[in-house]
Amino acid sequence: MSTNDNPPEEPMGSELPPHEEPARPAGPAAAGGGAQPEKPGAPARSGRQRLVEAVWPPRVSRAQLIVALLLFVLGLGLAIQVRSNSDSSALRGARQEDLVRILDELDGRTKRLEDEKQRLEDQRKELESSSNQAEEARRQTVEKERQLGILAGTVAAQGPGIVLKITDPTGQVQSDQLLDTLQELRAAGAEAIQVNGVRVVASSFFSDEGGGIGIDGKKITQPYEFKVIGKPQDLEPALNIPGGVVQTLEKEQATVAVTRPAKIVVDALRAAKQPDYARSSSS
Amino acid sequence: MIAVLGLVAGVVVGLLVRPEVPAVVEPYLPIAVVAALDAVFGGLRAMLDGIFVDKVFVVSFLSNVVVAALIVFLGDKLGVGSQLSTGVVVVLGIRIFSNAAAIRRHVFRA
Repeated sequence: MSTNDNPPEEPMGSELPPHEEPARPAGPAAAGGGAQPEKPGAPARSGRQRLVEAVWPPRVSRAQLIVALLLFVLGLGLAIQVRSNSDSSALRGARQEDLVRILDELDGRTKRLEDEKQRLEDQRKELESSSNQAEEARRQTVEKERQLGILAGTVAAQGPGIVLKITDPTGQVQSDQLLDTLQELRAAGAEAIQVNGVRVVASSFFSDEGGGIGIDGKKITQPYEFKVIGKPQDLEPALNIPGGVVQTLEKEQATVAVTRPAKIVVDALRAAKQPDYARSSSS
Repeated sequence: MIAVLGLVAGVVVGLLVRPEVPAVVEPYLPIAVVAALDAVFGGLRAMLDGIFVDKVFVVSFLSNVVVAALIVFLGDKLGVGSQLSTGVVVVLGIRIFSNAAAIRRHVFRA
Protein backbone atom coordinates (compact mmCIF):
# COMPACT_ATOMS: atom_id res chain seq x y z
CA MET A 1 0.00 0.00 0.00
CA SER A 2 2.76 2.35 0.93
CA THR A 3 4.65 1.68 -2.26
CA ASN A 4 1.46 1.84 -4.22
CA ASP A 5 0.44 5.29 -3.23
CA ASN A 6 3.37 7.65 -3.33
CA PRO A 7 5.06 6.49 -6.51
CA PRO A 8 1.89 6.88 -8.56
CA GLU A 9 1.88 10.51 -7.59
CA GLU A 10 5.31 11.05 -9.05
CA PRO A 11 4.56 9.46 -12.41
CA MET A 12 1.20 11.10 -12.32
CA GLY A 13 2.93 14.37 -11.69
CA SER A 14 4.76 14.06 -14.95
CA GLU A 15 1.67 13.22 -16.88
CA LEU A 16 -0.59 15.42 -14.85
CA PRO A 17 0.04 18.81 -16.32
CA PRO A 18 -1.42 17.76 -19.65
CA HIS A 19 -4.49 16.60 -17.80
CA GLU A 20 -4.60 19.63 -15.66
CA GLU A 21 -4.25 22.13 -18.43
CA PRO A 22 -7.57 21.17 -19.94
CA ALA A 23 -9.12 20.87 -16.51
CA ARG A 24 -8.18 24.35 -15.41
CA PRO A 25 -9.84 26.16 -18.20
CA ALA A 26 -12.94 24.17 -17.47
CA GLY A 27 -12.84 25.33 -13.87
CA PRO A 28 -12.90 29.03 -14.64
CA ALA A 29 -15.62 28.41 -17.14
CA ALA A 30 -17.75 26.81 -14.47
CA ALA A 31 -16.95 29.23 -11.67
CA GLY A 32 -16.59 32.27 -13.81
CA GLY A 33 -14.24 33.93 -11.27
CA GLY A 34 -12.18 36.91 -12.28
CA ALA A 35 -9.02 35.62 -10.61
CA GLN A 36 -8.88 32.44 -12.63
CA PRO A 37 -7.48 33.70 -15.92
CA GLU A 38 -4.08 34.29 -14.37
CA LYS A 39 -3.72 30.61 -13.52
CA PRO A 40 -2.64 29.28 -16.88
CA GLY A 41 -0.43 32.26 -17.25
CA ALA A 42 1.43 31.57 -14.00
CA PRO A 43 2.20 27.89 -13.75
CA ALA A 44 5.15 28.27 -11.36
CA ARG A 45 3.16 29.07 -8.26
CA SER A 46 4.25 28.08 -4.81
CA GLY A 47 2.42 25.47 -2.74
CA ARG A 48 1.13 28.13 -0.47
CA GLN A 49 -0.52 30.01 -3.25
CA ARG A 50 -2.09 26.82 -4.51
CA LEU A 51 -3.46 26.12 -1.06
CA VAL A 52 -4.93 29.57 -0.77
CA GLU A 53 -6.47 29.31 -4.20
CA ALA A 54 -7.93 25.93 -3.43
CA VAL A 55 -9.45 27.15 -0.19
CA TRP A 56 -10.63 30.58 -0.88
CA PRO A 57 -12.88 31.28 -3.71
CA PRO A 58 -15.03 28.18 -3.19
CA ARG A 59 -15.60 26.44 -6.46
CA VAL A 60 -18.07 23.69 -7.04
CA SER A 61 -16.51 21.07 -9.21
CA ARG A 62 -16.81 17.31 -9.52
CA ALA A 63 -13.42 16.83 -7.91
CA GLN A 64 -14.30 19.05 -4.99
CA LEU A 65 -17.58 17.27 -4.48
CA ILE A 66 -16.02 13.82 -4.57
CA VAL A 67 -13.28 14.84 -2.19
CA ALA A 68 -15.87 16.45 0.04
CA LEU A 69 -17.86 13.23 0.05
CA LEU A 70 -14.81 11.17 1.01
CA LEU A 71 -13.81 13.64 3.67
CA PHE A 72 -17.36 13.56 4.96
CA VAL A 73 -17.05 9.80 5.34
CA LEU A 74 -13.68 10.26 7.04
CA GLY A 75 -15.07 12.80 9.47
CA LEU A 76 -18.00 10.56 10.19
CA GLY A 77 -15.73 7.61 10.93
CA LEU A 78 -13.46 9.77 13.03
CA ALA A 79 -16.32 11.12 15.10
CA ILE A 80 -17.89 7.70 15.57
CA GLN A 81 -14.59 6.19 16.60
CA VAL A 82 -13.75 8.98 19.02
CA ARG A 83 -17.21 8.85 20.51
CA SER A 84 -17.35 5.07 20.89
CA ASN A 85 -13.86 5.11 22.34
CA SER A 86 -14.70 7.75 24.88
CA ASP A 87 -18.15 6.78 26.03
CA SER A 88 -18.52 3.05 26.27
CA SER A 89 -15.06 2.22 27.53
CA ALA A 90 -12.61 -0.06 25.84
CA LEU A 91 -15.01 -2.95 25.49
CA ARG A 92 -16.60 -1.50 22.39
CA GLY A 93 -14.61 -2.50 19.38
CA ALA A 94 -12.52 -4.96 21.35
CA ARG A 95 -11.72 -8.15 19.56
CA GLN A 96 -13.59 -11.32 20.30
CA GLU A 97 -10.72 -13.15 21.98
CA ASP A 98 -10.05 -10.12 24.14
CA LEU A 99 -13.68 -10.05 25.19
CA VAL A 100 -13.61 -13.75 26.00
CA ARG A 101 -10.46 -13.25 28.04
CA ILE A 102 -11.95 -10.30 29.91
CA LEU A 103 -15.12 -12.28 30.56
CA ASP A 104 -13.08 -15.20 31.85
CA GLU A 105 -11.11 -12.95 34.13
CA LEU A 106 -14.28 -11.38 35.47
CA ASP A 107 -15.83 -14.79 36.05
CA GLY A 108 -12.76 -15.96 37.92
CA ARG A 109 -12.68 -12.81 39.95
CA THR A 110 -16.35 -13.08 40.81
CA LYS A 111 -15.88 -16.66 41.89
CA ARG A 112 -12.88 -15.79 44.01
CA LEU A 113 -14.76 -12.98 45.68
CA GLU A 114 -17.81 -15.18 46.24
CA ASP A 115 -15.61 -17.81 47.86
CA GLU A 116 -13.99 -15.24 50.06
CA LYS A 117 -17.38 -13.85 51.05
CA GLN A 118 -18.63 -17.33 51.92
CA ARG A 119 -15.52 -18.02 53.94
CA LEU A 120 -15.81 -14.78 55.85
CA GLU A 121 -19.48 -15.35 56.54
CA ASP A 122 -18.79 -18.83 57.87
CA GLN A 123 -16.07 -17.40 60.05
CA ARG A 124 -18.41 -14.74 61.34
CA LYS A 125 -21.10 -17.29 62.12
CA GLU A 126 -18.59 -19.46 63.89
CA LEU A 127 -17.28 -16.56 65.94
CA GLU A 128 -20.78 -15.48 66.87
CA SER A 129 -21.84 -18.93 68.00
CA SER A 130 -18.61 -19.50 69.88
CA SER A 131 -18.92 -16.16 71.62
CA ASN A 132 -22.49 -17.07 72.54
CA GLN A 133 -21.31 -20.37 73.92
CA ALA A 134 -18.51 -18.71 75.81
CA GLU A 135 -20.94 -16.21 77.27
CA GLU A 136 -23.29 -18.99 78.36
CA ALA A 137 -20.47 -20.98 79.86
CA ARG A 138 -19.23 -17.93 81.71
CA ARG A 139 -22.70 -17.25 83.05
CA GLN A 140 -23.08 -20.80 84.28
CA THR A 141 -19.66 -20.69 85.84
CA VAL A 142 -20.47 -17.53 87.72
CA GLU A 143 -23.73 -19.01 88.93
CA LYS A 144 -22.03 -22.19 90.07
CA GLU A 145 -19.26 -20.24 91.76
CA ARG A 146 -21.87 -18.33 93.73
CA GLN A 147 -23.65 -21.49 94.81
CA LEU A 148 -20.44 -23.22 95.78
CA GLY A 149 -19.22 -20.05 97.47
CA ILE A 150 -22.23 -20.14 99.79
CA LEU A 151 -21.52 -23.74 100.68
CA ALA A 152 -17.80 -23.14 101.16
CA GLY A 153 -18.36 -19.93 103.07
CA THR A 154 -16.36 -17.72 100.74
CA VAL A 155 -19.26 -15.41 99.90
CA ALA A 156 -21.83 -13.73 102.09
CA ALA A 157 -25.41 -15.00 101.99
CA GLN A 158 -28.75 -13.58 102.88
CA GLY A 159 -32.29 -14.84 103.04
CA PRO A 160 -35.02 -15.98 105.41
CA GLY A 161 -34.08 -17.99 108.48
CA ILE A 162 -33.86 -17.93 112.25
CA VAL A 163 -31.60 -16.61 114.95
CA LEU A 164 -30.93 -18.94 117.85
CA LYS A 165 -29.52 -17.36 120.95
CA ILE A 166 -28.21 -19.56 123.77
CA THR A 167 -27.44 -17.81 127.04
CA ASP A 168 -25.56 -19.98 129.49
CA PRO A 169 -24.80 -18.10 132.70
CA THR A 170 -23.56 -21.21 134.52
CA GLY A 171 -21.18 -22.37 131.83
CA GLN A 172 -22.71 -25.85 131.62
CA VAL A 173 -23.08 -25.96 127.88
CA GLN A 174 -20.36 -28.03 126.24
CA SER A 175 -19.13 -28.18 122.70
CA ASP A 176 -20.95 -31.43 122.02
CA GLN A 177 -24.27 -29.77 122.74
CA LEU A 178 -23.53 -27.02 120.30
CA LEU A 179 -22.51 -29.68 117.79
CA ASP A 180 -25.85 -31.40 118.34
CA THR A 181 -27.59 -28.10 117.75
CA LEU A 182 -25.67 -27.63 114.54
CA GLN A 183 -26.47 -31.14 113.31
CA GLU A 184 -30.11 -30.60 114.06
CA LEU A 185 -30.11 -27.36 112.06
CA ARG A 186 -28.36 -29.02 109.16
CA ALA A 187 -30.80 -31.90 109.23
CA ALA A 188 -33.62 -29.37 109.07
CA GLY A 189 -32.21 -27.88 105.90
CA ALA A 190 -30.00 -25.01 107.05
CA GLU A 191 -28.00 -23.63 104.13
CA ALA A 192 -25.64 -21.08 105.67
CA ILE A 193 -24.75 -20.82 109.32
CA GLN A 194 -22.55 -18.57 111.37
CA VAL A 195 -21.94 -18.75 115.08
CA ASN A 196 -20.75 -15.61 116.85
CA GLY A 197 -19.13 -14.30 113.68
CA VAL A 198 -17.59 -17.60 112.62
CA ARG A 199 -18.83 -19.15 109.40
CA VAL A 200 -19.63 -22.81 109.84
CA VAL A 201 -18.75 -24.98 106.87
CA ALA A 202 -18.25 -28.68 106.13
CA SER A 203 -14.84 -28.82 107.75
CA SER A 204 -15.78 -26.92 110.89
CA PHE A 205 -15.12 -28.53 114.25
CA PHE A 206 -16.03 -27.73 117.83
CA SER A 207 -13.61 -28.01 120.72
CA ASP A 208 -13.66 -27.25 124.42
CA GLU A 209 -11.24 -24.51 125.24
CA GLY A 210 -10.43 -23.51 128.79
CA GLY A 211 -13.66 -22.00 130.13
CA GLY A 212 -15.26 -21.72 126.70
CA ILE A 213 -15.87 -23.28 123.33
CA GLY A 214 -13.84 -23.03 120.16
CA ILE A 215 -15.01 -23.33 116.58
CA ASP A 216 -12.25 -24.14 114.12
CA GLY A 217 -9.77 -23.17 116.81
CA LYS A 218 -11.37 -19.80 117.36
CA LYS A 219 -12.64 -19.20 120.84
CA ILE A 220 -16.17 -17.94 121.24
CA THR A 221 -17.92 -16.86 124.37
CA GLN A 222 -21.51 -16.92 125.40
CA PRO A 223 -24.14 -15.92 124.53
CA TYR A 224 -23.84 -18.20 121.54
CA GLU A 225 -25.74 -16.77 118.66
CA PHE A 226 -26.55 -18.97 115.62
CA LYS A 227 -27.57 -17.12 112.48
CA VAL A 228 -29.14 -19.68 110.20
CA ILE A 229 -30.47 -19.27 106.66
CA GLY A 230 -33.05 -21.86 105.72
CA LYS A 231 -36.78 -22.46 105.80
CA PRO A 232 -37.92 -21.04 109.18
CA GLN A 233 -41.03 -23.25 109.26
CA ASP A 234 -38.72 -26.30 109.23
CA LEU A 235 -35.91 -25.00 111.38
CA GLU A 236 -37.85 -23.81 114.40
CA PRO A 237 -39.95 -26.96 114.98
CA ALA A 238 -36.82 -29.05 114.53
CA LEU A 239 -35.28 -27.30 117.52
CA ASN A 240 -38.41 -27.41 119.62
CA ILE A 241 -39.32 -31.07 119.32
CA PRO A 242 -39.73 -32.84 122.70
CA GLY A 243 -36.39 -34.15 123.86
CA GLY A 244 -34.73 -32.02 121.20
CA VAL A 245 -32.07 -29.37 121.30
CA VAL A 246 -33.98 -26.71 123.19
CA GLN A 247 -35.14 -29.07 125.98
CA THR A 248 -31.67 -30.54 126.37
CA LEU A 249 -30.12 -27.11 126.68
CA GLU A 250 -32.73 -25.88 129.12
CA LYS A 251 -31.93 -28.88 131.23
CA GLU A 252 -28.43 -27.40 131.59
CA GLN A 253 -29.87 -24.14 132.94
CA ALA A 254 -29.35 -22.36 129.67
CA THR A 255 -31.84 -20.00 128.13
CA VAL A 256 -32.70 -20.54 124.50
CA ALA A 257 -34.39 -17.89 122.40
CA VAL A 258 -35.43 -18.45 118.81
CA THR A 259 -36.44 -15.45 116.71
CA ARG A 260 -37.46 -15.17 113.07
CA PRO A 261 -36.27 -11.92 111.52
CA ALA A 262 -37.49 -11.17 108.02
CA LYS A 263 -33.99 -11.24 106.66
CA ILE A 264 -30.85 -12.94 107.90
CA VAL A 265 -27.44 -11.87 106.68
CA VAL A 266 -24.63 -14.35 107.03
CA ASP A 267 -21.61 -12.22 106.30
CA ALA A 268 -18.79 -13.98 108.11
CA LEU A 269 -16.40 -15.24 105.46
CA ARG A 270 -13.83 -17.96 105.23
CA ALA A 271 -10.84 -18.01 102.91
CA ALA A 272 -11.03 -20.54 100.11
CA LYS A 273 -8.47 -23.21 100.85
CA GLN A 274 -6.74 -25.03 98.06
CA PRO A 275 -6.60 -28.72 98.94
CA ASP A 276 -3.07 -30.05 99.16
CA TYR A 277 -3.68 -33.59 97.97
CA ALA A 278 -7.19 -33.94 96.64
CA ARG A 279 -7.48 -33.14 92.94
CA SER A 280 -10.51 -33.00 90.74
CA SER A 281 -10.86 -36.24 88.85
CA SER A 282 -13.31 -34.91 86.31
CA SER A 283 -10.81 -33.56 83.84
CA MET B 1 -13.20 24.72 0.47
CA ILE B 2 -16.10 22.37 -0.20
CA ALA B 3 -13.82 19.51 0.84
CA VAL B 4 -13.08 21.16 4.19
CA LEU B 5 -16.79 21.78 4.66
CA GLY B 6 -17.40 18.11 3.94
CA LEU B 7 -14.93 17.09 6.66
CA VAL B 8 -16.49 19.45 9.17
CA ALA B 9 -19.98 18.27 8.25
CA GLY B 10 -18.90 14.65 8.70
CA VAL B 11 -17.52 15.31 12.18
CA VAL B 12 -20.61 17.25 13.21
CA VAL B 13 -23.00 14.63 11.87
CA GLY B 14 -21.03 11.86 13.53
CA LEU B 15 -21.12 13.64 16.88
CA LEU B 16 -24.76 14.67 16.70
CA VAL B 17 -26.46 11.69 15.08
CA ARG B 18 -24.41 9.11 16.94
CA PRO B 19 -24.97 6.44 14.31
CA GLU B 20 -24.80 2.79 15.23
CA VAL B 21 -21.95 1.00 13.49
CA PRO B 22 -22.62 -2.64 12.63
CA ALA B 23 -20.69 -4.92 14.92
CA VAL B 24 -18.98 -6.60 11.97
CA VAL B 25 -17.38 -3.37 10.82
CA GLU B 26 -16.51 -2.05 14.24
CA PRO B 27 -13.04 -3.54 14.75
CA TYR B 28 -11.92 -2.20 11.37
CA LEU B 29 -13.16 1.34 11.82
CA PRO B 30 -10.12 2.75 13.67
CA ILE B 31 -7.67 1.33 11.15
CA ALA B 32 -9.83 2.50 8.27
CA VAL B 33 -9.91 6.00 9.73
CA VAL B 34 -6.14 6.08 10.06
CA ALA B 35 -5.73 4.82 6.49
CA ALA B 36 -8.13 7.46 5.23
CA LEU B 37 -6.17 10.11 7.14
CA ASP B 38 -3.06 8.93 5.36
CA ALA B 39 -4.79 9.27 2.00
CA VAL B 40 -6.00 12.75 2.90
CA PHE B 41 -2.52 13.90 3.85
CA GLY B 42 -1.16 12.40 0.65
CA GLY B 43 -3.80 14.24 -1.34
CA LEU B 44 -3.03 17.52 0.40
CA ARG B 45 0.61 17.12 -0.36
CA ALA B 46 -0.15 16.33 -4.01
CA MET B 47 -2.30 19.42 -4.19
CA LEU B 48 0.49 21.59 -2.84
CA ASP B 49 2.85 19.95 -5.32
CA GLY B 50 0.39 20.83 -8.02
CA ILE B 51 -0.10 17.26 -9.10
CA PHE B 52 -3.44 16.57 -7.47
CA VAL B 53 -5.83 14.42 -9.47
CA ASP B 54 -9.19 13.65 -8.00
CA LYS B 55 -9.32 10.17 -9.50
CA VAL B 56 -6.01 9.23 -7.91
CA PHE B 57 -7.20 10.61 -4.62
CA VAL B 58 -10.45 8.68 -4.71
CA VAL B 59 -8.76 5.44 -5.65
CA SER B 60 -6.01 5.82 -3.06
CA PHE B 61 -8.51 6.75 -0.37
CA LEU B 62 -10.74 3.75 -1.05
CA SER B 63 -7.90 1.30 -1.57
CA ASN B 64 -6.17 2.50 1.59
CA VAL B 65 -9.30 1.89 3.62
CA VAL B 66 -10.05 -1.46 2.04
CA VAL B 67 -6.51 -2.77 2.29
CA ALA B 68 -6.13 -1.64 5.88
CA ALA B 69 -9.39 -3.32 6.83
CA LEU B 70 -8.36 -6.41 4.90
CA ILE B 71 -5.05 -6.63 6.72
CA VAL B 72 -6.75 -6.38 10.09
CA PHE B 73 -9.35 -8.93 9.05
CA LEU B 74 -6.62 -11.31 7.91
CA GLY B 75 -4.70 -10.70 11.11
CA ASP B 76 -7.77 -11.55 13.14
CA LYS B 77 -8.21 -14.76 11.21
CA LEU B 78 -4.55 -15.63 11.72
CA GLY B 79 -4.67 -14.77 15.41
CA VAL B 80 -2.21 -11.88 15.14
CA GLY B 81 -4.84 -9.19 14.74
CA SER B 82 -3.60 -6.82 17.41
CA GLN B 83 0.05 -7.04 16.31
CA LEU B 84 -0.83 -6.57 12.69
CA SER B 85 -3.06 -3.59 13.35
CA THR B 86 -0.26 -2.06 15.42
CA GLY B 87 2.05 -2.57 12.44
CA VAL B 88 -0.43 -0.97 10.06
CA VAL B 89 -0.86 2.01 12.34
CA VAL B 90 2.91 2.43 12.60
CA VAL B 91 3.39 2.33 8.85
CA LEU B 92 0.54 4.73 8.20
CA GLY B 93 1.82 6.99 10.95
CA ILE B 94 5.25 7.18 9.32
CA ARG B 95 3.66 8.03 6.00
CA ILE B 96 1.48 10.68 7.57
CA PHE B 97 4.54 12.23 9.17
CA SER B 98 6.52 12.31 5.94
CA ASN B 99 3.57 13.82 4.08
CA ALA B 100 3.11 16.34 6.85
CA ALA B 101 6.78 17.26 6.54
CA ALA B 102 6.37 17.91 2.80
CA ILE B 103 3.25 19.98 3.43
CA ARG B 104 5.07 21.96 6.07
CA ARG B 105 7.90 22.68 3.63
CA HIS B 106 5.38 24.03 1.16
CA VAL B 107 3.37 26.08 3.58
CA PHE B 108 6.10 27.52 5.78
CA ARG B 109 8.97 27.12 3.32
CA ALA B 110 10.97 25.57 6.12
